[in-house]
Amino acid sequence: MLEAFHNSGGQGTLFWVSIILYAAAAIFSLALMKNPKVCTLVSNGLCILASVFGIATSIIDIAIEKIHTDLYVFQSAIPYLSVDIRLDRLSSFFLLCLSVLVLCVSIYAIGYVSHYFGKRNVGVLHFLYAAFILSMIFVMTSGNAVFFFVAWEAMALLSYFLVIYESEKEENVNAGRLYIIMTHIGTAFLLIAFMIMFSYTRSFDMFGSSAAIPAFAKNIMFVLFLLGFGTKAGVVPVHIWLPYAHPAAPSHVSALMSGIMIKTAVYGLLRFVFSYLGVQNTWWGVAILVLGIVSALMGVAYAFVEKNIKRLLAYSSIENIGIIFIGLGIAFIAKAQGNSLVCGLALAASLFHCLNHTLFKGSLFLGAGSVHFASGTKNMEELGGLIKRMPVTAVLFLCGALSISAIVPFNGFISEWLTYQSLFANILPGHALINILTILSVAVLAMAGALAAASFIKLFGISFLGLPRSERASNAVEVPGVMNVGMGILVTLCLAVGLFPMAVLQMLDRVLTGFAGISILPQLKNGWLTAFSPLSISGNAVSPAVIAGVFAGVILAALVLIRIIGGKRRERKVGTWDCGFESLNARTQYSATGFSKPVKIALKILFRPSRVVKTEGDLVYHPESIQYLVGIEPIFERYLYDPISKLARSISHKIKYSVQTGSIHAYLIYILLTVLILMFYNRIA
Amino acid sequence: MMHAVYALIQIIVIILAAPLVNGIIRKVKALTQKRKGAPLLQMYFDLFKLLKKSVVVSDVASWIFRAAPYIAIASAVAASLFVPVATWPESQGYAGDMILFVSVLALGRFFMMLAALDTASTFGGMGSSREAMISALIEPSLLVTLFTVALIAKSTSIFQIMHFTAGVGIPLLHPVYILGFAALCTIIIAETSRVPVDDPSTHLELTMVHEAMILEYSGRDLALMELSASIRQLVFITLLVNIYVPHDQMIALYGLSGFAAIAVSLFVYLIKVVLVSILIAVIEVHAVKLRLFSIPNLAALAFIVSFLGFIQYFVLGR
Amino acid sequence: MSSYLDILSVLLLLSSFVLMANKRIKSHIRTFRFQSAMIALAAGILGVNSLIHEGRVDLLVVCAVIIAIKVIYIPRLLHRVYANVEYKVEKDFFLNIPILILGCCMIVVFTYFALSKTDGINTGTENMRVVNSVSLILIGLFFMISRKKAIGQIVGFLVIENGIFVTAMFATQGMPFIVDMGMFVDLLSAVMILGIMVFKINEKFDSIDINKLKNLRG
Repeated sequence: MLEAFHNSGGQGTLFWVSIILYAAAAIFSLALMKNPKVCTLVSNGLCILASVFGIATSIIDIAIEKIHTDLYVFQSAIPYLSVDIRLDRLSSFFLLCLSVLVLCVSIYAIGYVSHYFGKRNVGVLHFLYAAFILSMIFVMTSGNAVFFFVAWEAMALLSYFLVIYESEKEENVNAGRLYIIMTHIGTAFLLIAFMIMFSYTRSFDMFGSSAAIPAFAKNIMFVLFLLGFGTKAGVVPVHIWLPYAHPAAPSHVSALMSGIMIKTAVYGLLRFVFSYLGVQNTWWGVAILVLGIVSALMGVAYAFVEKNIKRLLAYSSIENIGIIFIGLGIAFIAKAQGNSLVCGLALAASLFHCLNHTLFKGSLFLGAGSVHFASGTKNMEELGGLIKRMPVTAVLFLCGALSISAIVPFNGFISEWLTYQSLFANILPGHALINILTILSVAVLAMAGALAAASFIKLFGISFLGLPRSERASNAVEVPGVMNVGMGILVTLCLAVGLFPMAVLQMLDRVLTGFAGISILPQLKNGWLTAFSPLSISGNAVSPAVIAGVFAGVILAALVLIRIIGGKRRERKVGTWDCGFESLNARTQYSATGFSKPVKIALKILFRPSRVVKTEGDLVYHPESIQYLVGIEPIFERYLYDPISKLARSISHKIKYSVQTGSIHAYLIYILLTVLILMFYNRIA
Repeated sequence: MMHAVYALIQIIVIILAAPLVNGIIRKVKALTQKRKGAPLLQMYFDLFKLLKKSVVVSDVASWIFRAAPYIAIASAVAASLFVPVATWPESQGYAGDMILFVSVLALGRFFMMLAALDTASTFGGMGSSREAMISALIEPSLLVTLFTVALIAKSTSIFQIMHFTAGVGIPLLHPVYILGFAALCTIIIAETSRVPVDDPSTHLELTMVHEAMILEYSGRDLALMELSASIRQLVFITLLVNIYVPHDQMIALYGLSGFAAIAVSLFVYLIKVVLVSILIAVIEVHAVKLRLFSIPNLAALAFIVSFLGFIQYFVLGR
Repeated sequence: MSSYLDILSVLLLLSSFVLMANKRIKSHIRTFRFQSAMIALAAGILGVNSLIHEGRVDLLVVCAVIIAIKVIYIPRLLHRVYANVEYKVEKDFFLNIPILILGCCMIVVFTYFALSKTDGINTGTENMRVVNSVSLILIGLFFMISRKKAIGQIVGFLVIENGIFVTAMFATQGMPFIVDMGMFVDLLSAVMILGIMVFKINEKFDSIDINKLKNLRG
């Protein structure tokens, strides 16, 4: 460990301090298990401290000139079993996202975890939480594929345990099982890719050269990486675990999982494909782009019809990963065609969206946690009217919703704007297929944007506005202040990044120069109002801060003018207009299901909605009771996964009777034959 | 400094002209039905009266309901800054980006839809959910249309696009622009809640979209909502006429400059707006309100037209 | 010295043939005891050799342990197990003895073929020894396949272990001490567990025919 301090600069020391603090948080949370209150305070306190060090580490590392720093190198006698921890600017960028999120989530957790006191073992939760963060840090900083793989596995396992933390609920256990199966299928692809990598280069060094790998093997590796990392990212069609696993975990963990864990897949794609393999073929980018388009559209479509708050957020994560993948796809296409300007722009868009999604999805999951904390339900149909009962949470949630809907002056708009700009710049005469794909991406992005806004209008409008739809909702009270502080920091950051995007873009420029050798700053000009607000790319400029100013000015002018013309505001409060029937109540409000119905019918190709009406009683027009069931058809489960699992089941059934006979002698014969064949192979090879 | 002055002129022109468009449309519709119809300036009188009336607010409503009108007007006015009504000299600094334009408009819609849900009224929820569907279906064609003209002008700034098409001559002779024009017309009808997508003159729950959302508003809040809706409508019309029927060239032909040029330009602009308003009114008279679930077909049509426009750009070149 | 070892290696191979030809469980155990004694002798010869030339005593210790465990303790244990389970005369093998012996011969030929090109062990007499001992492993496996009763399985397992041990010893002139000891501990515990399992199987099925384990399949 001492050499480690010696080898690195200042940020190395900070890095190790934060690692030690996280480890301490993990250990203390186990040691103090008996006293949940102290345990929560100590463990989260240490995590907060650690994340501050993490932020410092990454900012220093991005700021200094050195492109990458070895933090710890342990070379064992066996060549590929080495532990190699490095920090370069790309790692630092993701580390920064992680640390910022951990800071806020840990503050939030101090309040949030209190509802587990006396019900579940909180110490274990904090231990898993801290260990999960550690594993993600090592995924981001590892320089050796084997070590990366170990950290990746640890991340998957720890998050699995967090998903099934509330294991008394059957749905959580099922969600966990689906998650662990899917994530291991993804990991299997990665393992094969690493083996191919080793078999050609005789090295697991992620920063090494891939020159020894022939082109066809690179193509295979790309597909494997795409499938492997895509599964973790939750791109359609390997997304099915995400909408179940993310909502099952405790909310602050969901924030981490959606906010940063799925981004490790983006990191992996950039690290292994973009930087290690090098982009060879245009079709790589096209494949990523197509996945991105499909995910963005499907994700948001399913989010819109969902009525569980956390599941809606999880589907929206799929959409956002889709947007990130659209940026990545453009970057890969541009790189393959040697168009480094567009490549840099698209990478910046994609990384910027990673950061933004971390901020706003983090805050929204925390908000969903607050709603669950206060009302005990995640079902929108049981909520309503929370804005009067939880005013602070409501404001923060609204800001998060505005951010994710890409509305100025919040941050979501900036990255979406960059994505649009890179799509715009990618349309060049001569590449018919790519152009058509790009314009389709524009259409999809537009539709996804509108549907995302609608989803969050529905989420906010149904759960926070109107009348409470159940006892639980009407009894809800504002959550502890510390939870709102955690959420508030994230929302403030959303607004700050949205108003002053140049600050982040200058950081991204350093990341990109270090990682891809492309500088985007020459394309970004500073304007006249403040150095940090307007951004412009080849003359296309926006200035969110100015727009915010215009908003404020117009609102002020409207207030003043109306005051002058109409005098003081006179307001009468009466009931909502009920057409004269005087029977308006919570049940006559629009429901979440009803809200999404028009879209469900308009896009019935996708949803295949079903409707069953069951009536009881003899009279056709005056039945005793009516049961009305609506549903949508889960396309992927039914047409992709069900056939696969059926096939697997029938094959294993056959194997049970022909190969796995249960006879020891048969097994011994298998062993003998294997040995003989191996010996034979060894002889003739 | 000049920028601020131009911006102010722009805002004032748009705010003042916006209710007029509604007046013209109503008048034309009345005339085709052999009615005399309300005076052209009726909407100004309505707004003025509404501003003086007291406000009735549902006791369920929260601050969102009260804030939404102001945010809606802010969004509409801010959006109006992106579409120059006339040739401003040296107005490069306008820097209106079409994606930002769409996002600014989305802010207003976001709050309008939230406010509709805020009063626990069934009408509000209905309007809001229908608006969600329509916006999701229309947005792709809007962006594809804008992207096509932007690609031709090699810039996403609306000012740059207008500036570029002004140099084209008569853009509507070119297939790319004809298709774009048709698509944008359809989009405007949907975005501004006109027949056949929505009927602004009825309050029937089977057909209402925009009216259902603002049903609970009264007094000055209603005035703001109505005004912002008509500003949005004028902004879209401005977009249509200044991209597809530019008139800068004509002004330049007469060798005018300075404020004289601006004044003439404004005048020509207003004539174009009046013509388009009459066109919209004629469409409204001749069309029937579509069933709600036929709107996807209309949207698909708009998308296909805009997509064909994009393809034409590459097939024919520019 | 090397001629003694050659003879021993042939004797080991021969003992495995004898084992294959045996019909009775008691003679299985006896043959195993004989085979273990041969191995102990080989270890002893190598041990004396290394004591004289290098002054190492570890192989002699190994020799003593082999005698203690494989020659004395395990055969006794097996006898006791066998005595305690009910005695039934059943056909113990699937194929008849001559075919089994032929199979063994083919295994030896195959091993010779498989190892004939391997570097490092095909020089001089060492080649033959390694071929013999690898054959011993495979024949042990083959023995397990050919016998139905559980004790036969244990003996086969022990023969495999013997084969592995001898291969290692002949190829490397004695492995590191700790490895040898580890193997013995492993072996001892395995045999004890297997002994208990035999009781259990007998209790469950009234027979020690492991083919009946098929019924346990779900």
